[in-house]
This record gives sequence, C-alpha cells and structure tokens, in this order.
Amino acid sequence: MEKEEIISRLKPIISTYVEDKNTLEQLNEATDFIKDLKINSANLVDIVLDVEEAFGIEIDNLSMERMLTVGAAIEIIQTKMEG
Amino acid sequence: MIGNDIVDLVQADKDSNWQRKGFLDKLFTAEEQFLISSDIQAPLMVWLLWSMKEAAYKINSRQTKLRLFAPIKLICNNLIVLNDKATGQVFYEDQVYFTATEIHGQDYVHTLASDQKPELEAARISIMNFQTGYRTTNPESVSHHGRYLALAYL
Repeated sequence: MEKEEIISRLKPIISTYVEDKNTLEQLNEATDFIKDLKINSANLVDIVLDVEEAFGIEIDNLSMERMLTVGAAIEIIQTKMEG
Repeated sequence: MIGNDIVDLVQADKDSNWQRKGFLDKLFTAEEQFLISSDIQAPLMVWLLWSMKEAAYKINSRQTKLRLFAPIKLICNNLIVLNDKATGQVFYEDQVYFTATEIHGQDYVHTLASDQKPELEAARISIMNFQTGYRTTNPESVSHHGRYLALAYL
C-alpha cells in the first residue's frame, strides 16, 4: 500500500484522539503523536488497536515501541502487510 | 533523578475505555492485570499502575535520551496500597525506580518516582488546576493531564 493511502486512512483514526484538530492540518511523516499532536500516551494504545483493526495486522510490542511518529506507523503498517 | 505523573480520573474515564479488547494486554503484564482484575476498584488500579509506569519512564527517557513506547517493559512491583497512599517499584531492564503515589478521592492519582529512594521524601510536590507560567519556578518534573498540573521540585 502506498504511503499516501496509508496516511489518508490513518488520519481519521488519529483525529479521534486529538483535541486540537488544527494540528492535523500539517500531518506528515515527521509528525510526532505525543509532541506534535499532544495525544496522551494511554490513547497511543488505542491508535495501535485501531490500526490493527483497520489494516488487519498485528502490531507486536517491539514494533509498538517505535510507533511514536506517523512515519514509523506507516513503516510498521507496510512491513506487516507485506509479511 | 525524579519524575512525576498525574492522571485526572475524570478525564481518563472520558478518554480511555480500558475494558476495550486488547487494551490491558498492550499496557500491563500478566501480574499487573491480575492486580487490576482482583481489585474492587479496578479502574483506579489501572490508572495507579499506569501513573507508576509513566513517572518511571520520565526518568528513564531522560537518563537514556531514548524515547520508546514500551509500557510492558516497565514492570510494577511490590505495590502496597494503604488508604489513599501507595508505594512500589518499577523495573525497567536493569534499572529500579521507587514510587510513591497519592490517590485523591475520585479526582486524581499522582505518582512520584525516583531512582534514589530518599528523593521521594525530599521532593516537594505542588498540584493545582492547570495554568501556564509555571516554567519560571524551575520544576524538575512536570505533568499535566485534564484539569490538573503537577509540579515536582527537588
């Protein structure tokens, strides 16, 4: 799956947990879930679970460790979908 | 070194469905989940353990300069809850962090963590409604969640 498609499918998932929706306008691979979007860390787990459901993949703990940015999420999704 | 974490219990209840399938498995070890399932106040235990992990993580990420989202690797141990106070330890790989938690009714849970136990006594904690302008007071650790701002000084 292409990056652009993944981002467009990620956006509504992420949006659920973002209080200030303006921060989503600049969403790109470098966007940090906690630092840039101010998502609380407990909700990061919800994003992981939502991504698992939406993309039909399983995100193991080792992958989750790195899932702090949109770019990392894309990379993990791509790897898991290929595997 | 100290780290602190506050959980606004009203906000947490609004933002997180901890009973969601898979949620606890990603955040808590089997032993921690046992503590949660056997506690009559299960939601409170969820956020108590979570704040211990977060407070310990704050120290660890400053020590190692590494950011990771690895809640399962932060392992709560030797938890003793007595009325509105709790003490315990959080293990992270070969590190041990000591914790002291205050449970404030249905309002919040606040945990202070340190890699040196005496610092738990020495630290001064200030909890207030959220406001800006606190940086000039030079806190060692800051936590903001929902309605609350918690500052820890050494």
